Amino acid sequence: MMLQVLLAISAVLFCFGLLAALTRSKAIMVLIGIELMLGAGNLNFIAFWKFSAHPELLTGVMFAIFSIALAAAEAAVGLAIIIQVHRRLRSVNINRADQLKG
Amino acid sequence: MHDLIQRFLSLPWGQPTDWLFLIPALLMLLAAAGAVMLRNLIHCALCLTLSFIALGILFIALGAEFVGFVQLLVYVGAVTMLILFAILLTPASEVAASNNPFRSFSFSKTLNAVGGGAVALLVLGGLLAAIFFSPHAREAVPPAQAAVAPAKAIGENLLTHTLLPLQGTAILLTAALIGAALLAKEEKPL
Amino acid sequence: MNFLENLPLAAKKLILDAVEWVCNWLCAKTGIKLPDWAMPALLTLVSILIVIVTIIAVFMVMFALMSVFERKILARMQNRYGPNRVGFFRWRLCGLFQPVADGIKMLTKEDIVPRGADKIVHFLAPIAMVAPALVLPVILPYGRGMVPIELSTGILFFFAMGAGTELAVFMAGWSSNNKYSVIGAMRAVAQMISYELPLVMSAVVVALVAGTLSPNGIVEAQSGYVFDVHGIGSLLNVPKWFVLTPWGFVACLLFYIGALAESNRSPFDLPEGESELVAGHLTEYSGFKYAIFFMAEYVGMFAINGLLVTLFLGGYQSPLPFLEWIPSWCWFFGKLACVAFSMVWVRATLPRFRIDQMMQFAWKFMLPMSFAALIAAATWYYAGRGPAAWGISLLIVGVPYLVLGRLCFTRRHTADNRRYLYSE
Repeated sequence: MMLQVLLAISAVLFCFGLLAALTRSKAIMVLIGIELMLGAGNLNFIAFWKFSAHPELLTGVMFAIFSIALAAAEAAVGLAIIIQVHRRLRSVNINRADQLKG
Repeated sequence: MHDLIQRFLSLPWGQPTDWLFLIPALLMLLAAAGAVMLRNLIHCALCLTLSFIALGILFIALGAEFVGFVQLLVYVGAVTMLILFAILLTPASEVAASNNPFRSFSFSKTLNAVGGGAVALLVLGGLLAAIFFSPHAREAVPPAQAAVAPAKAIGENLLTHTLLPLQGTAILLTAALIGAALLAKEEKPL
Repeated sequence: MNFLENLPLAAKKLILDAVEWVCNWLCAKTGIKLPDWAMPALLTLVSILIVIVTIIAVFMVMFALMSVFERKILARMQNRYGPNRVGFFRWRLCGLFQPVADGIKMLTKEDIVPRGADKIVHFLAPIAMVAPALVLPVILPYGRGMVPIELSTGILFFFAMGAGTELAVFMAGWSSNNKYSVIGAMRAVAQMISYELPLVMSAVVVALVAGTLSPNGIVEAQSGYVFDVHGIGSLLNVPKWFVLTPWGFVACLLFYIGALAESNRSPFDLPEGESELVAGHLTEYSGFKYAIFFMAEYVGMFAINGLLVTLFLGGYQSPLPFLEWIPSWCWFFGKLACVAFSMVWVRATLPRFRIDQMMQFAWKFMLPMSFAALIAAATWYYAGRGPAAWGISLLIVGVPYLVLGRLCFTRRHTADNRRYLYSE
């Protein structure tokens, strides 16, 4: 029961992230959406760990820790790319970055 | 109708103190809604920070305290700072001012929003259907009291079972650090 | 002196017993029967309230006294008197009522918010600064058995709460709609992030040797004396504090410098120095909000000093066996007062860093030294803690210090041949 409520909360968070990534036109908003989706994934890991048959194996906790570290690294690289794109195109609108020539 | 209510009330609800995690969960969802819908980028980033803090508190409430503190340390301390600095370093041109209530109506923007909203709603519907109505949902779930994650056990696990992912993450973080610094560097004319 | 030692715990038990007695008396009087979970829940709530009220009261009093003593000590070091007029009802009292006057001034000042400022963020920034700062002192062991909240990952909690301070500084700077505030906030955040790494690494060094992240466990790991002689020779007893080992000394110094930088104190007070950038990120704050920022900075300073005492200076333990009759909480606050005095001393002595000097110092000297301290601590721990271990760890810590501090990065950034033009 509690597991399903937790999974539902994480699904709603994921869909908020998906909405941000699909709808907004600024690149940083897309990144914020990605971070929200990753957070929802982490919540799923912890929820399944809490209700697993062998919680002493700490599988979900390990997954969540690595996921947090990877999300931080990916945010750093993504933001560096956004800064460089802004320098070239003078805009962060993702609809403007539609040419392969740079 | 009456038996629906009976079925609802007869679900294994448990103790009222078990459901205290709903408070940070609802705060997190509200803050995420704010992060997605607000117009000003910095307000979005600050709502995202609030959402991260609430998610960290939720992890602590669920018994994974180490993960909760790591979430607060990494996301609020580092990722938020990165996002805020990136917002400051990439100022958008002030043509479409965020406070203008008479923004020009654009068909493509509305289609964009409606289409994105439809996709998100479809995904939400699919996920909720899978959570509540799939065959696995009827299975019995072990009780939650046994799930403790002491920091010592996490440390031992990191250095024995998941040693290779740990080293891989270290290399990846180094590469990401060097790569991000290199990518964001200004090219000075020779 | 067992009575003094147990005084805080006995007071807390007295209050909880009183609450329970009053509840039982009320239930007997009115005939209401409480469910089973009500009494423990009420007692838990009351104990949480006692913890909150005690921490706020103690740290507010310490903040008030610190603000006047810092000015007096700074003044004495600069060969002048500090504030010595404000007293109470015609007695001068050496100016110890200055905080009362300061408080009244701060409370009655007009609260000016700039016209183009982001009102919500401008309002929330002091709150976001003071809330993590007030939560920081909760995990420190103030005496034997006197930890307000016993957390097994207390050190991690401390640094997770410290990360909230940087966010508040950025919010304060950005919401003021002032270019100088934004520049000051960026510099302050860059400084805090740079110095957070050696700070956390020094704490990790201690956690490595103590084997636990719990502050109580770390204090217990520093118990005992090296020679353990009683009687006449007990003056030779050296306590097993971590600061008295080579790696611990280096880690303590790095932690101390990091603590100075995290609290934006001199010589790291570039973000809030008056001659640079007006007041940096605090330019547009007046009155009560400025007082809240001030208070958050001081409470954060006390909390991080408390953590330094816990990690390196042995917490609540006495340095010599025959001084053990002094209560443990007296030792903790005494050591805290010594560390705070040393911070005021450093403020009076050293000039301010420039921003590039600050960043170079953090990244090129302190971070490699903290890694060297980590390796030295691991070597000391696994080489048996004897004289050989001391020698090896001294070498592991000393060689990087000589290389980094004395040989590298010491060239001056001036032109080689200067031409002096004198007016004839």
